[in-house]
Amino acid sequence: MKKKKSCYIHIPFCSNICSYCDFCKFYYQDTLIEPYLDALEGEITTRYQNDLLETLYIGGGTPSVLTPSQLEKLFKITQKLELSHQVEFTIECNIQDITKEKLLLFQKYGVNRLSIGVQSSNQEILHFLDREYTKEEIIPKLNLAKQYFSNINIDLIYAIPGETISMLKQDLSFFLDLNVPHISTYSLMIEEHTKLGIQNLEPISDQLDSMMYEAIHDMFTEKGYRHYEISNYGLPGYESRHNLTYWRNETYYGFGLGASGYIDSIRYTNTKNIKKYLSGIYIQEEEKITAAIDASNYAILGLRTLEGVSKAIFLEKFKVDFKEYFSIADLIEEDIIIETKDSYYLNPKYWYLSNEVLVKFL
Amino acid sequence: MIYMKQQNIRNFSIIAHIDHGKSTLADRLLEETGALEKRELKEQTLDSMDIERERGITIKLNAVELTYHYHDEDYILHLIDTPGHVDFSYEVSRSLAACEGALLVVDAAQGIEAQTLANLYLALEHDLTIIPVINKIDLPNADPEKVKQELIDAIGFSSDEFIFTSAKTGEGIPELLNAIIERIPAPKGEKEKPLQALIFDSFFDSYRGVIISCRMVEGTLQKGDKIRLMETGAVYDVVELGVMTPKEIKKDKLVAGEVGFIAASIKDISQVKVGDTITHDDFPASTPLPGYQPMKSMVFCGIYPIEANKFEDLREALEKLKLNDASLVFEPETSQALGFGFRCGFLGLLHMEIIEERVEREFGIDIIATSPSVIYEVELTDHSIVMIDSPSMLPDRQKIASIKEPYIKTNIFSPSEYIGPIMELCQNKRGTYISMEYLDKTRVNIHYEIPLSEIVYDFFDKLKSYTKGYASFDYELIGYKESNLVKMDILLNGEIVDALSVIVHKDFAYQRGKAVVEALKELIPRQMFEVPIQASIGSHVIARTDIKALRKNVLAKCYGGDITRKRKLLEKQKEGKKRMKQIGRVEVPQEAFLAVLKMED
Repeated sequence: MKKKKSCYIHIPFCSNICSYCDFCKFYYQDTLIEPYLDALEGEITTRYQNDLLETLYIGGGTPSVLTPSQLEKLFKITQKLELSHQVEFTIECNIQDITKEKLLLFQKYGVNRLSIGVQSSNQEILHFLDREYTKEEIIPKLNLAKQYFSNINIDLIYAIPGETISMLKQDLSFFLDLNVPHISTYSLMIEEHTKLGIQNLEPISDQLDSMMYEAIHDMFTEKGYRHYEISNYGLPGYESRHNLTYWRNETYYGFGLGASGYIDSIRYTNTKNIKKYLSGIYIQEEEKITAAIDASNYAILGLRTLEGVSKAIFLEKFKVDFKEYFSIADLIEEDIIIETKDSYYLNPKYWYLSNEVLVKFL
Repeated sequence: MIYMKQQNIRNFSIIAHIDHGKSTLADRLLEETGALEKRELKEQTLDSMDIERERGITIKLNAVELTYHYHDEDYILHLIDTPGHVDFSYEVSRSLAACEGALLVVDAAQGIEAQTLANLYLALEHDLTIIPVINKIDLPNADPEKVKQELIDAIGFSSDEFIFTSAKTGEGIPELLNAIIERIPAPKGEKEKPLQALIFDSFFDSYRGVIISCRMVEGTLQKGDKIRLMETGAVYDVVELGVMTPKEIKKDKLVAGEVGFIAASIKDISQVKVGDTITHDDFPASTPLPGYQPMKSMVFCGIYPIEANKFEDLREALEKLKLNDASLVFEPETSQALGFGFRCGFLGLLHMEIIEERVEREFGIDIIATSPSVIYEVELTDHSIVMIDSPSMLPDRQKIASIKEPYIKTNIFSPSEYIGPIMELCQNKRGTYISMEYLDKTRVNIHYEIPLSEIVYDFFDKLKSYTKGYASFDYELIGYKESNLVKMDILLNGEIVDALSVIVHKDFAYQRGKAVVEALKELIPRQMFEVPIQASIGSHVIARTDIKALRKNVLAKCYGGDITRKRKLLEKQKEGKKRMKQIGRVEVPQEAFLAVLKMED
């Protein structure tokens, strides 16, 4: 049996629902937490096959919304997972939840990376997104977090209706001044079943959106960040190892309500129905990944990143070179796909148009 | 089925303009004679193709047998349906050749139309007995007396010949059936003579092979007989024969005067030619019946499969369609842009559209059709003449002495208040005014000479919108005239796309070039890079525009939970690109190849 190296755990509770969020989430209800954590423990006990994990990621929702004692209970569960000595252990955290007590708790149980949802420093935008903190709170909270953690990611949302390039650039300077080693960006998508979707809001033009994308790229790479995936920037050595497992088409566990995993050639998604989950019915959908889909996933995931698709890994798995398998000589000829000694990657010039290329790999 | 005396058989067809109620009238005759119960009648029972029902037109002829009791005797009536559109006059002529009489159906509110008249002249050429029928007399704005007078003046019927009907209410239908029996002569022909049966239609049945529709002219045909098709010489054993009522009814024999079908396990569709004569192999007739003059194709276009590997499927589809549509011609052709396909010839624009639609629907092949062309007569500097039906065949300009193009003469029937707009339209289409006749105080017939190539573009649509749908249109070919014509090429991303080239009049080239590049700009989606579109004559660019590069098409975030969903989004995008053809580095949708047609003045 092949070793699974990564694990995602979903905590679906939030003290407040953001206007754009289409993740699986609920309002925080104290009485639900204990039963949920019990069910989570049940799922992990049933399905975890004692693999040594290289990355562990607790996301949400808002995991940091849990009280210290609830967090303690959560970490007691994660202690059942075998973690490598070099594990990357991330937890998602809201600005208002950053307290010395919780940070110490994270540290105590081996968390070594924080992902903090800053999103914006513009008060109007924060308000538009229904984020419940002020610009002024951000810097002291970040400074506190940095006393305990050096490996920190912050999230940035852009392409907000009404946002201009100069508003964005102010945000970008603010983010750079926070001086953290990793920044995830997110071009706002107005999804159905979100507050913004229900308001029928018009997204900004593709033209402006792509100009913003370019502005972000220019300012961040100028400061030494590597634009290593379409939406992610990191200082050298600080790339998200957990997320790289997704983009390398590697296997991972997904535990918790609505979580997804990829195990034993099956991609599964857990139920989003909390009643079912609490009663021990975890999985809702399973998809068997055939060799053809697997090959194509190497492409559509790998071509999101600067490291691209590994020649050696693809060749070992499919016994034929990636270039031959997908007949992409013309794409290489046109400099759309770039071939190196070890890999193929999508020319970053076309990253914002990548769907146009990826459809050729389905 | 009882044996029927020949004098109790009547063979007839119906001539009518689109919308004048032909199919409804046919349905009503079927109902009145008990051929079909009311509940079995779909609207337009005889129009069996989906396209026919959807467009409310008849394309293919169909034949049905009805029985009617009259003065204590049983009669068999064969109704052979006809298409009403000018494109299909060849089909009409085939139906008429199988009949002794025809009903001329005219709408009591609208009066006689251009195409009705054309088909009526065909009927008169075949020496048929005509029964004028004024239909839709139930309409509030019906004026049967006025229409009657119009017909008397235009064609010369006598006042007591007219039958007034409402296919909707059933009024006048018994009178009509009586008139069919009283006035239309019984078929001649002797059942003891050597067999002569005229093939007027055929279609392919996947279980039984080719099914032939035929009119028995002389002799008797029985199940098990060995038949010979006189033109191709092919010999078959008759497995099945019978009549359509319109349900299929099998019989043991068909005799002179009857109309029926034959199945003879014919697998090779090329052996059956519409217009050929069937005779007995061992006791053949000495001469075949006069067949039909095959119609000449007037309009040509290239048809290409979007997926290159569907070329053979396309060939098979065209062959099957040709089986009951002898007027369709095609031969393989190669385009640099589109690969392997066929150059196809059609009777007219509607015919072209119908064939394209049938290939896509009935055979499930996605195709690209190039813009239609007529046949040009090119005189070279060495005085030799070449005929070309495709812009890509046009020789180098230095070698051309002159180019002639086919002209038509119009019959445009219209209320007189639209004379102004119609004349303006005809002038814009390079027309030359000939004359105008008043049919009565309010209706005119306008004659222009117009290049056929202009009709091939958007003349029908324009005429309709200029006259709020009141005008009807028909034309006859009058020959070739010299014009100042040039080939206009379209370049995408700097490369000529041969399938988009057109032959245009030089004075109109600039305007058309501009319109085409603008239309293409709208039709071709943005690509990963900027795409210039140019129209040129020789090396001279006459119009240019650019499709700006696409700015964003990305799944901005993709993490562990998104992969299956994101994949579905990509699959959807791929589906959307399926109907596009890759030309060089540019993805071009099907519709773009007809961009030259979709132009606003």
